[in-house]
Amino acid sequence: MKRVSKAWVRGILLTGLVSFAWACSGGGETSDSADSSQAADDGKLPFKIGLMTGTVSQGEDEYRGAEAVIAQYGADRIRHVTYPDNFMTEQEAMISQVLNVAADKDVKAFILAQGVPGSMAAIKRVREFRPDMKFLVYEPHEDPHQIADYADVCIMPDNLKRGETIVDLAKEMGAKTFVHYSFPRHMSQELISRRAKIMEERCASQGMKFVFANAPDPTGDQGLPGAQKFILEDVPRQVKQYGQDTAFFSTNCGMQEPLIRSSADNHAIMPEQCCPSPTHGYPGALGIAISEEDAGDMGAIRQAIHEKVAEAGNTGRMGSWPVSVGMVAIEALTELAIKAVEGETGIADQASVASELQTAAKAEVTVLPFEDKQNYYMFLIESVVF
Amino acid sequence: MGKLRQLALQNVVPILFTVLCVSGIIAARADISLPILANDIVTRLSRNLFLVLSLIIPVVAGMGLNFGIIVGAMCGQIGLIVVENQGASGLGAFFAAMGVSIPFSLIFGWLTGLLLNRAKGREMITGMILAFFANGIYQAVFLLMAGPVIPLHNQRILLDGGIGLAITIDLIGTGGQLDRLLRPSIPFMGLPLFIPVATFIFIALLCVALRGYLRTKSGQELRAVGQDMHVAEISGINVDRTRMRAILISTVLGGLGQIIWLSNIGTMNTFQSHEQVGPYAIAALLVGGATVAHATIWHAILGTLLFHTLFQVSPIAGQILLGSAQIGEYFREFVAYAVIGVTLALHAWRTRRS
Repeated sequence: MKRVSKAWVRGILLTGLVSFAWACSGGGETSDSADSSQAADDGKLPFKIGLMTGTVSQGEDEYRGAEAVIAQYGADRIRHVTYPDNFMTEQEAMISQVLNVAADKDVKAFILAQGVPGSMAAIKRVREFRPDMKFLVYEPHEDPHQIADYADVCIMPDNLKRGETIVDLAKEMGAKTFVHYSFPRHMSQELISRRAKIMEERCASQGMKFVFANAPDPTGDQGLPGAQKFILEDVPRQVKQYGQDTAFFSTNCGMQEPLIRSSADNHAIMPEQCCPSPTHGYPGALGIAISEEDAGDMGAIRQAIHEKVAEAGNTGRMGSWPVSVGMVAIEALTELAIKAVEGETGIADQASVASELQTAAKAEVTVLPFEDKQNYYMFLIESVVF
Repeated sequence: MGKLRQLALQNVVPILFTVLCVSGIIAARADISLPILANDIVTRLSRNLFLVLSLIIPVVAGMGLNFGIIVGAMCGQIGLIVVENQGASGLGAFFAAMGVSIPFSLIFGWLTGLLLNRAKGREMITGMILAFFANGIYQAVFLLMAGPVIPLHNQRILLDGGIGLAITIDLIGTGGQLDRLLRPSIPFMGLPLFIPVATFIFIALLCVALRGYLRTKSGQELRAVGQDMHVAEISGINVDRTRMRAILISTVLGGLGQIIWLSNIGTMNTFQSHEQVGPYAIAALLVGGATVAHATIWHAILGTLLFHTLFQVSPIAGQILLGSAQIGEYFREFVAYAVIGVTLALHAWRTRRS
């Protein structure tokens, strides 16, 4: 008797779920189509663009970039979703988010910023039922050779070239030693490990000492707090050993804030963050409150950083890029996506990628293809020193 | 009336999750596409069910939820790495990966079993820490030894320097093989609903095998050990050996389940794919109404269905209810893990009451 009633409960639960799902279906479809016809009348974009970024706790720049394009085109035209903070282990959740947005027939292009692991799988799945969907990826984490076969356009900061420019900048700032913080999982990413090698060689040719320091993996057992604590404790140790003319660099976003703070406190050199931008790590590390009206104003933010760095007595020893690379990339990719959907050809050309990035950055941008790939580009923006 | 109340109390977790899923679907109905939701739920069922089922045997044997399943998942990945390295492709390659994973699962499962037999009563936390330990070894082996020591030569899966595996491996040879074998579609609200029949048949075979096994003498011994180790020992059952058997079965099934999971996703996160396996499979089982002391095939099926429906629906529901993309994401985490916490607390409360 007990067995039977248990089965009943399960049966009722299942049927309840399914029938509710059926019941709700009508509402969803009508509201979608109503949306699109209204939008076309307003003279807005006649289609939608899907956009996936991290949350602000993962990296603020892309989220702010998304807010900027939403402000420009409207929340009903840009369907913004976020990938899980714990994106390395919650791949399924990320794929589902992409699939759900792609199911909206009005969404014609999809921007993945950043292209966290799972992007390739998500693109493959979407193309099964939406072969026409355009995919534009900013900063793919997956293997460049592999993802270039699936995405329409991929862009990322020229991390290989930065291996040289960062070391050169550190040298100009007076560095004698260069400390590179990373951990095995990051070093298994091809571009990061190659850049570390380039940095090492460049240091040798510039007469600087290169130190590879192993930090705890923020997705490992100690989590991000453990990794941040390590940086706060280790920078003073390294400065004690190698002196104040030591430049610090870390491959992980979460480590930038403690790295900037302890570099400023110990009068060490911090040439550039992993993802260069005035908003990446600097405001939090130096206690800069960004007011509501200054949120997107890079000039005001740079000025505030200048003042704080001067207060710490470290002027000329800390640097970044003048604009937020994440914001610039999202704005440029949105424009490229619109052009692609409107039928313009050659969006994956070097020239069109460069011109969109330049417009968004309002600064000089160098764009180069990655090896022989004609849809995977690396770009560099000129540095700013605080 | 009293009976109904008791039933509701017994099934409070699945009921709570059903309510959450249904209200999530209602809240998100403007932004959610039902055919896609249905497709995703079917895919996730086919992808995850095998892994969730692999947890049942240790629960029956009184060893709680096997967090050590991550070790099995790593062995599954070893199978895939070996086969992808050979450049093999097709259904044969898929089963070859399974074949390669089994001896590894047996060796590492045996070691896990040895450890867990020395940590009776603390199997869950021991298994969890063991998984961290095994992860360290796995990373060391495949980052430093793949290439120079372990003869992996396929440039597609290696880093440029020839040492260490790439962070993601596109499963060209083994990806989607079982799913594609028999995957008819039925029209569902304007879009095709794909059903990976072959994968479901494979899972059904496992269900039948599990049921059958639990009725054999060996299976009955597992139950006896699960109910009371001391009594089982007195009645002449070799407790340690029985527990070892449970862990071996669970590890092997975990490896096979991971191959099904990854093959369905199509790409492997070389150094992280296994980490997500344990907590999620366990959460799904708990959501289905299982406890650390009692789990059935039905718990696994219902739990996988509810847990993954909520995972799919809640970010969108949160986004609509609270008006921000990232709050939707936090909403999902908060809801899913809160319910799992409640599940564990309820179990502790009930055990104390009885």
